[in-house]
Amino acid sequence: MPARILTLLLLALCAWPAQARTATARIGSLEVAGAELDGVVVRLSWPAGAAHGELSIQAARIAAPALGPEYRQVRWRCPLSHDGAGAWHCAGPLQGRGGARMHLAVDLSSVCTGARLSQGNARLQLRREAVAPDVTRLDLVRVPLLWAQALLQRAWTQASVGDGVADGTIVVHTPPRQPLHVEGRLDVDGLALDTTDAAVAVAGLDGAIGFDWLQPDTGPARIVASGEVRDGEVLVGNTYVAIAGRPAGFALEARQQADGGWRLPRLALRDGDALQVEGDASFAADASLRALSLQARSARLAALPERYLSGWLGLAGLSGLELDGAADATLQVSGGMLQALDARLHDVSMRDPRDRLRIEGLAGELRHRARGAAQGRLSWREGALYGLAFGAIELPLASRDGVLRLRAPASLPMLGGELRLLDFALDPGGAEGLRLGFGLELDGLDVGQLSAALGWPAFRGSLDGRIPQARYASQRLDFDGGLSMRVFDGRVDVSALSMERPFGVAPTLSADLSLHGLDLEGLTGAFDFGSITGRLHGRIDGLRLVDWTATAFDAWLHTEPAPGVRQRISQRAVQDISSVGDASFVGSLQGRLVALFDDFGYRRIGIGCRLANEVCRMSGLHSAGAGFTIVEGSGVPRLQVVGFNRNVDWPTLVERLAAAAAGDVAPVVD
Amino acid sequence: MRRLLGIPVLLALALCACVTINVYFPAAEAREAAREFVEKVIGEEGDAPAPEAPPPGDGGMAVHRLRFDPFVLLGIGSAQAQDTPDITIRTPAIQAIQARMESRFNSVLRPHFDSGALGFVDDGTIVVRDASKLAIKDRVAVNAAVADDNRDRNAVYREIAVANGHPEWEPQIRQVFARQWIASARPGWWYRQGGAWKQK
Repeated sequence: MPARILTLLLLALCAWPAQARTATARIGSLEVAGAELDGVVVRLSWPAGAAHGELSIQAARIAAPALGPEYRQVRWRCPLSHDGAGAWHCAGPLQGRGGARMHLAVDLSSVCTGARLSQGNARLQLRREAVAPDVTRLDLVRVPLLWAQALLQRAWTQASVGDGVADGTIVVHTPPRQPLHVEGRLDVDGLALDTTDAAVAVAGLDGAIGFDWLQPDTGPARIVASGEVRDGEVLVGNTYVAIAGRPAGFALEARQQADGGWRLPRLALRDGDALQVEGDASFAADASLRALSLQARSARLAALPERYLSGWLGLAGLSGLELDGAADATLQVSGGMLQALDARLHDVSMRDPRDRLRIEGLAGELRHRARGAAQGRLSWREGALYGLAFGAIELPLASRDGVLRLRAPASLPMLGGELRLLDFALDPGGAEGLRLGFGLELDGLDVGQLSAALGWPAFRGSLDGRIPQARYASQRLDFDGGLSMRVFDGRVDVSALSMERPFGVAPTLSADLSLHGLDLEGLTGAFDFGSITGRLHGRIDGLRLVDWTATAFDAWLHTEPAPGVRQRISQRAVQDISSVGDASFVGSLQGRLVALFDDFGYRRIGIGCRLANEVCRMSGLHSAGAGFTIVEGSGVPRLQVVGFNRNVDWPTLVERLAAAAAGDVAPVVD
Repeated sequence: MRRLLGIPVLLALALCACVTINVYFPAAEAREAAREFVEKVIGEEGDAPAPEAPPPGDGGMAVHRLRFDPFVLLGIGSAQAQDTPDITIRTPAIQAIQARMESRFNSVLRPHFDSGALGFVDDGTIVVRDASKLAIKDRVAVNAAVADDNRDRNAVYREIAVANGHPEWEPQIRQVFARQWIASARPGWWYRQGGAWKQK
């Protein structure tokens, strides 16, 4: 309300013949300087001989479209006095319906026009010298930013101001037949701002801004502004910035376009070594981004996650990601799509707080083109995936029409062997999100290191394989081909390998395993499960690990005689098998006699387990009465181990296996 | 000409023979399982049973179709559903997710459902309905919690389908859960159905 209405009132006042004793003027409608006043009643009473008179001005409605909403039932009363030299002074309360009570003081003289509007400790002072009638100066002291709400909504209809006060000076130039020119410098304290769609929110923002605004009557506006923010929080879309007492400077230049949109030929952010951005942008009339071109540099990436990326990382489930190193990048966005990106990384490291992925010494150039082609090269020094350490890699990359590919195979030392990335194609903008395809070769990975990293028993052997094509899309990773693990002098083939949500909630892994000629002595030794000699064969179909815990499989493991291989089973292994399988000994041997022998010969061993819904459905070599035979003995003493409990609770079974491996098994001998 | 006219009929018969599906989606069991899961997460207060009547259009959850099977005439009956329909959600992974969702619901999400800032969507997820009801600082945390919760929800629907040996049931399980979240919503909470927001 303040400035122009005040001017209006002053105009009305000036027009009034001061000689009258009591006079009342009713003005149906008055239009002055872009404002419209209805039902104006001006009353002046000046008792004869009195030092001052009383002025009362009322308006039923004041509408200033340039300044915002209407004001109703506005009333100002003040004692009017003059000093005899032509200067008038009037100061009194000003109130509009529903508004807070304010105080308005007006001074009129031949030299200058002055007015002061105050409320509490907020003060807005206007001054215009007679020698320069085109220049109006406004001084603000603790002025609530709410007063500028209407002005703001003219430029940004969705925004509404909450708290905050401003101090500073604004100078308004209104030269005849020239554009309105407003310049000023304001200190803002505790600004709160929100948009109706909640896309932008600002809270407790402290800062300073200097601006220069040119607004022709007809034609596009031009704004140049710069300043700094010292404290507060800003949320734009998913980008959350907590300034938290670390000041950052900004500068921008904006030109309104004929279609109502804005072009920002200059956009700059200077936030110490955390982030320096220069660029230009253009927005459509509905504030949607048309084009953006940025050059950004961060000499200290470590500052970025907390200061700029927390909103995005939270959405991606990566809260707490740690970055280090430095990077600079240029990027171009248009049509809502990233058109080009050139990023240079300097010794960057990233660490996922949940230890899923860690990469150190990431360096090189990453180039992406939505159209056209570009080449880049990335490398890293070392890292770890789910605790599995890997070494350095060189990735020659090429981007063509939005897809990032590997130009030549790359090799990655891992677990004492080598993992070769044959090819690689990443399409970040697929219809269902990111799509990734790659081919792999594994050569001589040490199963011992793998076991140690995954907390398995100390297996020894090597892992090889070739996965000609793996595809990641819609949170699912499918592998063609298979892996082969050379362990315990035998082989385990892994096929039909797939993963769901590999980095997400409850990652699952599915595979079919087949076992060929595993040396049982080594295997039982690794598990510390008594001792069995012989060769183990079998399959584990439909293996499904959820959160790295087995939830389903259909397994059948059995021994097959091999030339030159003795088939013996130790007393402890018998006890362990029995305790695990709820089995008992029958046949030619009395249970009690087991303890008298160190080991026994066997003809064959076979055990099956079909796990589903936490229950393992056990099976053996063949039925034996109510049970099933697990171990079929040979020679004397002849041993036979028979299981009776066909449905075994899986968690209990795992517990018993662990106990057996730890040697805490009491012999269960019937 | 007459002979040619018979071909479509034969083709139709052949097609019918091919698409006879005898795998049932255990709709009632799924509803019960979903009710148990949802009530555990939201809390037991004020029992709200799931709507019994399936909405028109999808003919309920069962994909069982009664069709004439011409092979019956030849004495070849189609195999009946091979396993008893049952929905199991008591796998450790699902229970772990459920426990996490329950604690997140109580520690972060519930007050924002009360205030109307959050709402349920008919695809079984949740969204920030009215961010202006959240303080700016909360907005970041709530956005992250909503994203986490939706990741958990999607994993639960998927896992239940897969754990029951029918990954193709995922959309139906999602629907059953979506209805249950809305059914179990407390009075005053918001949900979006068919694109329109409604308040319980």
